[in-house]
Amino acid sequence: MIEIKQLAKKFKVENPKKLSEQEKKDPRLQGRFFHSVKDVSFRCEKGQVLGLLGPNGAGKTTTLRMLSTALQPNAGSVEINGIDVMKNPLLARQKIGFLSGSTGLYGRLSGRENIRYFGQLHGMDEGAIDRRLEELIELLDMADFIDRRSENFSTGMKQKTAIARAVIHSPDVVILDEPTTGLDIMATQTVLDFIRRLKDQQVPVIFSTHHLDEVAELCDAVTVINQGETKFSGSLAAFSDLADGSLHQSFLTAIQ
Amino acid sequence: MWLVFLKEIKELTRDRKTLFFMIALPILLFPMIFGVVGYFSSKALQDAENKVLKYAIIGAEHAPALAEGLASDEQFALVEVDPSADYAELINAETVEFVLEIPAGFTRDALQDGQSVIKLYLNDAGVNMVQRRVSKLTDDASQQLQQAAFTTLGLSDNQKTALLEPVVLEKVNVADQRENWGERIGGLVPYIIFILCLQGAMFPATDLGAGEKERGTLETLLISPIERHKLVLGKFFTIAFAGVVAALITVSSMAIWGMVLSQGMAIEMVAEFMGAISALDFILMFLMLVPVVSIFASVLLSLSIYARSFKEAQSYMGSLVIFVIVPIILAMLPGVELEDGWAWVPLTNVALAIKELIKGTMDYVQLVGIFGSTALIAGALIAFCVHWFNKEKVLFR
Repeated sequence: MIEIKQLAKKFKVENPKKLSEQEKKDPRLQGRFFHSVKDVSFRCEKGQVLGLLGPNGAGKTTTLRMLSTALQPNAGSVEINGIDVMKNPLLARQKIGFLSGSTGLYGRLSGRENIRYFGQLHGMDEGAIDRRLEELIELLDMADFIDRRSENFSTGMKQKTAIARAVIHSPDVVILDEPTTGLDIMATQTVLDFIRRLKDQQVPVIFSTHHLDEVAELCDAVTVINQGETKFSGSLAAFSDLADGSLHQSFLTAIQ
Repeated sequence: MWLVFLKEIKELTRDRKTLFFMIALPILLFPMIFGVVGYFSSKALQDAENKVLKYAIIGAEHAPALAEGLASDEQFALVEVDPSADYAELINAETVEFVLEIPAGFTRDALQDGQSVIKLYLNDAGVNMVQRRVSKLTDDASQQLQQAAFTTLGLSDNQKTALLEPVVLEKVNVADQRENWGERIGGLVPYIIFILCLQGAMFPATDLGAGEKERGTLETLLISPIERHKLVLGKFFTIAFAGVVAALITVSSMAIWGMVLSQGMAIEMVAEFMGAISALDFILMFLMLVPVVSIFASVLLSLSIYARSFKEAQSYMGSLVIFVIVPIILAMLPGVELEDGWAWVPLTNVALAIKELIKGTMDYVQLVGIFGSTALIAGALIAFCVHWFNKEKVLFR
């Protein structure tokens, strides 16, 4: 279970002249600070898949980066299975698996070495890494290419390797930041299958996306953020009920 | 920490570009430079020596013996010119290589006629042997006149020698071979080593900081449960290690090829010179390099992680080279000794200390201070690097 309460994050604006026109008009710009996330709260239960929606620049990535401990929130709390992420970032990191659409691999290492490295960073012993690796290779069908240098991988191969790397330590929670952006249909399907499998294993998943069909297909709960604030948080059914007809209408209703 | 180090090293050794720049280039580059420079300079000298020189002689009738000597030499070719012509024009138009102007009343007897001045017009820019080759002939003439005069005067050999050079200043150098050579090349050694260390560390540094950002692996690495300082130190050691290895390879290559190519007597001299430097001094020199390389590695890593891309990192590092070169050049300037203020100028003091160690005139107590202050700077920079790696505005620019 993962619970987020009133999360907030501001960034200092080093050079106000460099801001885009849109950023200058944004009400979140206050003086020397840009309040990227002002008040975001949601929770994701065991076995649930939560879809995080919002227009570009709404604060989705910042929120997920705070969840994954890459960024420090200015206010609010994040708890994963009762562990306070801010007080125990190292402990929390062992519970989290994180994957983003723009993630890369170490090109000069093989797929196997890439995954192993992160297993080692997670403090797993060699035996445990090998067992888990075999399991993931089988599951994601990576046997053909896992020992090749990853710089020559196709997008799909890369994404499979990145997935295996994110879950090598069997995390309690999986966070995905736009995991399907920029992927082709086959690679997208790999990611969606992977989310579905996690759901079957009762692992909570939080993922941000712009594809409402993915939300309809996988999500149990939906949270909509706009301009750094939670605009909607509830079940998929409740989200769907926001407007008659399509989820697109529901989304537009939510951000107003 | 060693986990990160080993992985980074593994990745570096798989990169052909790194291997090429770190290993192949220094091994092949030096013999190539030595070879090419040696070949062309010896060829140019040989050409100048063997070239048939076209000349004009004015006033040949005043010194028939000399004119005859020139004419009978196959390496000189006489060109007839108008005595009133502009010599410079003739030479620049390459009608002749040189013009010899013999004055009227050229000395026939040194005791009666006094000294004569022959003018040699030539274009002396560029490699040429004109003066040397012509002077061989004039020297002969000069000596004949000298001998004739001595004979007329009836001087003994002792008197002749004394007359030619009544007072001789003989130099007795009390500096031993080591100090002598140390002074000459001692400044160059730290210069070469510092620059090599910096260059060798630069590529891995770009890869380990900006490279992670550009490939999108940084975020994943940051949220793995490894403490930030261990991550930084792992990367730091990789960069420092690469710098030292690159420098060692280049220096060894330089030494080995230098010995191979300069065979014979030079080997003996080099061996003698190297033999005079004690093992302790070598170890001390290496120890002095440790904090210097640490300074380079931490600065490079800080720059690299700040940069958004490879390109940005490279431009930052390019300007860093200038900051490093200046203090080392200061150490090479004549008169800059390990005294007073210089002992406290970072990098300059290490360069000076290495020079003193090579010369064998190091005050070992001073070494402690230099090592200590440099290590302190290095430590502060590493601490800064760790702090830098914790800043969100650096990591997520």
